[in-house]
Amino acid sequence: MKSWGRASPLGFLRQLGQHRKFLNPNKEQDRIQTFIQDHESYRVEFSILADAFSKMEATKKRLELTQHLVELFEKTPQDVISKIVYLLQGKLRPDFEGVELGVAEKLAIRAISKSSGIPVKKIESEYRKGGDLGYAASVILEQKTQTTFLMEDITVERVYETLYKIAKLEGSRSQDMKMKYISSLLNDATPVEASFILKILLGTLRLGIAENTVMDALAVAFTGNKENRKVLEHAYNVSSDLGKVAEIVANKGIEGAEKFEINLFNPIRPMLADRVKSEEEAVEKMGDRFAAEYKLDGERVQLHVEGERVVLFSRSLENISSYYPDIIEKIPKSIQADKVILEAEAVAINENTGEFLPFQELMHRRRKYKIEKAVSKYPITVNFFDVLYYNGKSCLDLAYEERRSLLEKIVKEDEYAKHVPMSIVTNKNEIEEFLENSINSGCEGLMLKMLDKPYQAGSRGNYWLKLKREYRNELGDSLDLVVIGAFFGKGRRTGRYGTLLLASYDDDQDTFTSICKVGTGFTDEDLDQLYQILSDKVTIKKNPRIDSEMEADVWFEPELVIEVVASEITLSPIHKAARDTIRKDTGLALRFPKFTGKIRVEKAAEDASTNEEVLTLFKGQRKVAHDKNLI
Amino acid sequence: MTFEAKTSGSDDLKAIISAISTLVEEATFVATAEGITFRGMDPSHVALIDISWPNSAFEKYECDSDIKFGVRIDEFSKLIKRAEKKDSIEISISDQNMLLVTVGKNKKYKMRLIESSATDTPLPKIPYDSKITLSSSKFDKILGDVQVVSDYLTMHTYDSKADFSGKGDSGEVIIELEKDSEEIQEITSKEDSIGTYSLEYLNPVVKAVGTTAGHITCEFSSAKPLRIEFKVANIGRIHFYLAPRVES
Repeated sequence: MKSWGRASPLGFLRQLGQHRKFLNPNKEQDRIQTFIQDHESYRVEFSILADAFSKMEATKKRLELTQHLVELFEKTPQDVISKIVYLLQGKLRPDFEGVELGVAEKLAIRAISKSSGIPVKKIESEYRKGGDLGYAASVILEQKTQTTFLMEDITVERVYETLYKIAKLEGSRSQDMKMKYISSLLNDATPVEASFILKILLGTLRLGIAENTVMDALAVAFTGNKENRKVLEHAYNVSSDLGKVAEIVANKGIEGAEKFEINLFNPIRPMLADRVKSEEEAVEKMGDRFAAEYKLDGERVQLHVEGERVVLFSRSLENISSYYPDIIEKIPKSIQADKVILEAEAVAINENTGEFLPFQELMHRRRKYKIEKAVSKYPITVNFFDVLYYNGKSCLDLAYEERRSLLEKIVKEDEYAKHVPMSIVTNKNEIEEFLENSINSGCEGLMLKMLDKPYQAGSRGNYWLKLKREYRNELGDSLDLVVIGAFFGKGRRTGRYGTLLLASYDDDQDTFTSICKVGTGFTDEDLDQLYQILSDKVTIKKNPRIDSEMEADVWFEPELVIEVVASEITLSPIHKAARDTIRKDTGLALRFPKFTGKIRVEKAAEDASTNEEVLTLFKGQRKVAHDKNLI
Repeated sequence: MTFEAKTSGSDDLKAIISAISTLVEEATFVATAEGITFRGMDPSHVALIDISWPNSAFEKYECDSDIKFGVRIDEFSKLIKRAEKKDSIEISISDQNMLLVTVGKNKKYKMRLIESSATDTPLPKIPYDSKITLSSSKFDKILGDVQVVSDYLTMHTYDSKADFSGKGDSGEVIIELEKDSEEIQEITSKEDSIGTYSLEYLNPVVKAVGTTAGHITCEFSSAKPLRIEFKVANIGRIHFYLAPRVES
């Protein structure tokens, strides 16, 4: 096997750049030459990043990961730090900007074929052997046979800019151009570099780095003190942009990060609530006077408003403005503030009765075309419940009570804009009564909130609790699970997926562990819709983040989240959820799972029920069984 | 600043734009008093096109200072395709950074120019040992013959003879060439040469320029780049360079 490093027999071709100097020895050229050198002085070799990635892939220990990151950050010039932070998370920009690479495996394989001169079929078989296209590419590129005219250095900037171009390409020839850009990088990359470039492109880069680890490393590298992570965390929670936080701390140190302020149109990471199972438990945790709000079964929306300009973000901070042109149009009239960030629940309603309709009615709006039609067919109301920023000032540190009264001042109620119904409750009976009312108006339950507490952006604390009405399912709660695979249907379900393989999320390992197969609860319409959504997510090989012993007919990118209920959680020798925690070689599985009809498009796969939650539910039901035995 | 160029028909321009569009997404043209030139490399640095279109080739040509203008080649190509065969095409540049394109007598397009990011692309300076001149339709046919079994074309010259061959998983093909006056005008080699080139790059460009070019000349040396010259009557130079594939 011939190695095609930088000193190939065709080096003479690659040195054409120098050739040019002899052709045009004039002063103009000198000036350009100096300019290029200035530019190059801050260039970062991509190999530095690739080396760091290799080291990080080899460990799962948080301390070691942090150490590798610190070393990397210390080598990084200030002006590329944000790019490196995005890249190591496998991103190009913060999520809310919606810049997605969207490169399919097939296209990447064609690019590898183009760069290496090796046929697609051979690359596919190499890929099937190992299961990792990045690695397969590095093996293939070792044997590459296509030569090139020019060799450019692979720098972090070049990789970033090329990936950015790929993400932005659209139109008829975009697939072809994407492939050319990919192969332009692969041509000049070493096999290890190529492997990481592909992993970023395909979204399969898994360094196991949590955001907190990045912040730890930023704090150490730029302030010398890990304790300063708290400051960075705050900056991240109010900006949702880790790259920006990195840039500020690298350039202006901890003082810069301390001064970090909320920026209108940059989403704030939402505050989340723990769940409680009963009114008693709620009173125990919340004390003797607190707020109860209706928990509406809609989509949680963060609204950023300045005059007529309105931008909407979902719970997972995706820009969802295009799905709600009615909000954009109508809301400015109801708001009495120059600049404001508000939180609300958008809920589908029955136009004639004003009744709240279930969440899935909103899903008809998740479309790119003919949105106007969906808007008139599926009307909504916007139900406000919090204010995070008001006329240039953060409201996060205000107590709930103050925020609520400010909110009532800012939002003028009308047919379309409402305040979420709220009542101050002091005991179990009052909660029960309010819960009953909420259920009768089509809500899911209640949100309970401490009156004197601030808004904790980005964290799930016990200042907020959710109390859902117990359903018929004996588990007491539904689970949100990720669709990882499917089995083809028979009979009436021929040509669609008859049974889905579901997974819970293991947030330690960042994997999706199989938990059950589900084949009940689907209407014909559901099956059609699921087939449509899922066929775009089919992969040739099982995604390495999927942990399943069961072999499905087809595997999917672990992206889609659906809601299921079940009769109980049992021990399972096959399924992988919370494996080895209760008993060795044994995981947890759902018994008699049933689809509730809810496709949770607003949830990312990482928002699915975690193994910890499953474990808590499992232990909860054991405790119940145990108690019964005692009686 | 004055810049105006008018062609007598639309075929040549169509061929040129179509050839360029097989390689790049954005194209930067340079206009001087002598004519218009273009040079560009595809993003993967495997192929290169070098075009020079002298002022004499135009029905009317005026350019009093050197200018560069960039276009999205997709958009430009769509526009040019609206011209009938006999339509003249006149291009000039307006102050608002728009390209004015008059097709025939009364069709007037305005197209937004883009900021040209292109840097000068150097040309490979290499000696070519072998030279084959043949009709473009013959060459196109050969590419089709080879494509049946392979994604690559191997060109081989020896003792003033040549063969084109291809090899793939399913089988192989060899096509022997001999000098005849009609289709194959010239086969010369200072040294026996053998070079392999990707059809993925060859096919589109030959399809694009082929019908307009009467003959083409292929020049190459063993395991070195190929240069194809398309002989289009009115155009000074269309050179296509392709980096070789080498055995591993």
